[in-house]
Amino acid sequence: MIRAARSPLAVLALALALVAPAARSEVYQEPAAFITEVFGLLPAPKVLWLTKDLQAQAAAILGHPPAQLRQRYWSDARRSVWILEETGKEELITAGFVVADGRIDHVRVLVYRESRGQEVRQSSFLKQFKNAKLAPGDRLDRDIDGIVGATLSVGAMERMARLALLFDRISHG
Amino acid sequence: MSPRVLLLLFLRRWHTRIGLAAVVFFLFLAVTGVVLNHAAELGLDNRHVYASWLARWYGISAERPRHAFRSGGHDLIAANGRWVLDGRLSGEKFPPPIGLVELADMVVVASSTSLYLYGKDGVLIDRLERNALPGVPVQAIGAGASQLILRTASGTFESSDALSWKRAPRDAIAWSSPADLSAAEGERYAQMLEPGVSVQRVLLDVHSGRFAGRYGPLVVDLLAVFLSVLSLSGAWLFFKRKHRRERH
Repeated sequence: MIRAARSPLAVLALALALVAPAARSEVYQEPAAFITEVFGLLPAPKVLWLTKDLQAQAAAILGHPPAQLRQRYWSDARRSVWILEETGKEELITAGFVVADGRIDHVRVLVYRESRGQEVRQSSFLKQFKNAKLAPGDRLDRDIDGIVGATLSVGAMERMARLALLFDRISHG
Repeated sequence: MSPRVLLLLFLRRWHTRIGLAAVVFFLFLAVTGVVLNHAAELGLDNRHVYASWLARWYGISAERPRHAFRSGGHDLIAANGRWVLDGRLSGEKFPPPIGLVELADMVVVASSTSLYLYGKDGVLIDRLERNALPGVPVQAIGAGASQLILRTASGTFESSDALSWKRAPRDAIAWSSPADLSAAEGERYAQMLEPGVSVQRVLLDVHSGRFAGRYGPLVVDLLAVFLSVLSLSGAWLFFKRKHRRERH
């Protein structure tokens, strides 16, 4: 019985893989290229260590513990660039955040791995983050309009934006 | 008895019978449907069921762990996209490792396109992808004079912090290499590293009937037909009774 059922399942899985939109990486811009675009060259990375307190703050924003304890970033006198990753529905979204004077200067989706919800990379969505800053409770000072069918990716982008602003604030001491 | 009354009795009887026979299935479909609708909030896509019978049912052939990478007091065994580092299980979708080295304050695992930096306590410090590496593919990882060393297609590089890299001399490097697992170790790690199937996928397949194989969806289709019959016969009985009341 198992043998009989296995084969149809395998055929079904293959059919789904062929018919359904495949979950594959869409690299819109390499992170290094994004950083170079911001600074004109690729500066050496700096490191923000996530102390216990910072881990707790990051976890409160993300809704889960941060994946790693060392966050790389790139900065000059005014701006900092944060390449962050967060799961949308099932896969990680990689996004670059440029923070200047405690506000988001601009955002770009660099790698999108989900099979749907790519609309979060469109400028009409991303421009909502322009000049956003942290409000009390480490929330954004504005509401970000969602996208039908991309609710989880929108949520992931918002969480990453809050995290970038928090990290920027901490990195400035 | 008039044909209309006979039809009414027939419908009422079968409406009850079908409803009773299908109530468990309908409840099951309703519950699994509601759970699936909130799968993300419930974190079902990140939860996996690890059971050899389930993997076999899905036709997933389990990869058997054969090698370990060892350095100092640390060891890494990998199979089926999962790692066991110092006895601690990783999540899913981890790449096949090519080596492991222990440095003064961290343990570093390399795959061909990424580096995973762990603290001595096994907590992930950082994950570096191809952009942060001096070259890809990484062919080997080693240690020498407290430095982390990578051999890549573009040359051999060393770093003390995995942030800045410089070309490394080619001598006195202890390259990481796999060691064979004993049969007992292989058996133990094979159980730990069984391939998983996401809870969401299992629920979706159970809900749609695909879990039962070729005829499962047909059974669910049949239930859908029953539900349609119940809806139509219920509506007909309701309006018939209402119509009769109004006439009296």
